[in-house]
Amino acid sequence: MRLIEALEKINAVPVGSRPAESVFLACGFTPLHLKTFLTAALQERSLGNRIVCDTGVFGDLVGNLDRARSLEQRTVAAVVEWADLDARLSYRSLGGWLPTMHAEMLSTARLSLKRIEESLRSLSERALIAVCPPTLPLPPVAVTAEWQASGFELALRAAVAETFARIGESLRIRVVGTQRLDQVSPLPQRLDAASELNSGFPYTLEHAASLSTLLADVLRPPSPKKGLIIDLDDTVWRGLVGEIGSDAVSWTLDRHAQVHGLFQQLAASLAEAGVLLAIASKNDPSVAEAALKREDMVLKPEHVFPTLVHWRRKSESVTSILETWNIAADAVVFVDDSAIELAEVRAHHPDMECVLFPKDDPRAVVQLLRRLRDTFGKPMVLEEDRLRRDSIRRSSEVRDAIGSDGTEQFLSQLESVITLNFQPDPNDTRAFELLNKTNQFNLNGKRLTDSEWRALVEDPESFVLRISYRDKFGPLGNIAVVAGTASGASLVIRHWVMSCRAFARRIEHQALRAVFDRFGVDAIDLEFRQTERNEPTRTFLAAFAGPEGDTLPLTLPRERFDQHCPPTYHRIEHAGREINQHV
Amino acid sequence: MPGERSTNMSDIEQRLVRCFAAVFPGVSDDELARATTDRLPAWDSVANVMVVAVVEQEFGVQIPLDGLETLSSFDAIRSFLAEQTSSS
Repeated sequence: MRLIEALEKINAVPVGSRPAESVFLACGFTPLHLKTFLTAALQERSLGNRIVCDTGVFGDLVGNLDRARSLEQRTVAAVVEWADLDARLSYRSLGGWLPTMHAEMLSTARLSLKRIEESLRSLSERALIAVCPPTLPLPPVAVTAEWQASGFELALRAAVAETFARIGESLRIRVVGTQRLDQVSPLPQRLDAASELNSGFPYTLEHAASLSTLLADVLRPPSPKKGLIIDLDDTVWRGLVGEIGSDAVSWTLDRHAQVHGLFQQLAASLAEAGVLLAIASKNDPSVAEAALKREDMVLKPEHVFPTLVHWRRKSESVTSILETWNIAADAVVFVDDSAIELAEVRAHHPDMECVLFPKDDPRAVVQLLRRLRDTFGKPMVLEEDRLRRDSIRRSSEVRDAIGSDGTEQFLSQLESVITLNFQPDPNDTRAFELLNKTNQFNLNGKRLTDSEWRALVEDPESFVLRISYRDKFGPLGNIAVVAGTASGASLVIRHWVMSCRAFARRIEHQALRAVFDRFGVDAIDLEFRQTERNEPTRTFLAAFAGPEGDTLPLTLPRERFDQHCPPTYHRIEHAGREINQHV
Repeated sequence: MPGERSTNMSDIEQRLVRCFAAVFPGVSDDELARATTDRLPAWDSVANVMVVAVVEQEFGVQIPLDGLETLSSFDAIRSFLAEQTSSS
């Protein structure tokens, strides 16, 4: 992004035109163009808000972090540079680069890193932080020529690396990926010495733009895709299994098929991190199954569900997989080595990302692996991510059973337990994630920024109900969030989402009952809004329509809820305490 | 050729107005074309750094430090750019 484009993006959202969302840029140098680029980059990723970027004072990174804390900032971008560790590591200082000073400089830098770490940890109690370790080339402080690393430089970099490794373990502090920064902003093109000396802003415009983009990506990452559908022949392995047999397909270095092994390795890793993985292959099912069961496969059968192998069209398999997963095509990537198959699937699912597996081009395969890692990357892996694959498998069984005549008998024998949690927890990343990625059971499609979520949780007039579920087939984890405001006799549900894995278990009925019971109100107002995707929510609410024919009960009286609520068979636990059973 | 020179000036002026409009949103094009550091209150030292950075990037020129003091109006910057363009 060029500076003029950044300014124009900011100007396109005039003051007062939208709600303001405050972010804080903490750095020790003059923030100048970094502030402009960061504001524009966050504006691009904002959920309809106008971004207002606050900054601190020159030369005091720790003080600025503490200032952000005292201002109760909820979103902070922090940039550490060498000068923040010791002022003598700046071109603006003449404090000396004598070799005899190195030990003391190192000691100062370690102390500064400790203070920065403490300030970041303290700030992270209320704020989500993106932080970047030093990006500029070190000044020629050491006595060695630059082609040889000096002991001073190695020790300094080690101290930085150790600090950021610790910081990066925090749920609320996210460290910018320096490997990506190295790719988009080469080291020699980062420092603008003239600007550093004249105005105290050390970056070239290009580096400021690149760094801002990464900070914004870290603070507002794009929604990751949820599912990956893969082909077998010449994708998962080299060769056509139907022609050469299950023992002859290969994916190893010695068979010149390493790219396929690497693809399996990444797919397995994604599956372990909660990405849904399915196979869609045109093959003889028994032959393909034999190959998939080979013990030397990197990808294991338990990573994949479902596996669809037949001779019908690929798009049929893809449609069936989407139904099994109960997710939309735009949340899925399909990888196949055949351009024709990709085109056929794309014709039926135009929103799906269809990607060619470049089997004969190792460089392109490596690029594909990195692209897939970005596409599915998440800030952290939660327990629910680990549960997802198994619960999808079980959901499929549950849907099959409910489709039969024995629905009530099946539900009554599930031994299901719902845990209701009304305790506010602004650090519940799972609840925040659910609110921002659930489409089908979603009251109105509203998304929240991290700071809006925390404000909601901490508002004394608000309530947040988090619901987890388990049954005899295993846990689904935290699968629903209901949030709203309760003031006297008035109760409004403003947000309500439930994972599609939890459909058909009448958990949504228990959620409403829980809110009625908790607040003792005679009616609940629901801020329902139809979206392109929330038909399941509309259908659920329509079941409670009044006799006057209103199809959407935006106000639902308790009496009508009790009249229309079907039998429920869950055992209810509340904050670790068993309450009652509603049958 | 005179006609070509006129076209160049017009092009420079248009691009420069866009630069100024980005730094000073809400100010009309006419006002921007007459802007000086004295006349436009928003043109302070920080805005000046912004103007210089935007102009340098958009026109691919380097404004010398000692030229900053004399480039205190839209007109002066336009003339500077015209000079740079004709000498390159």
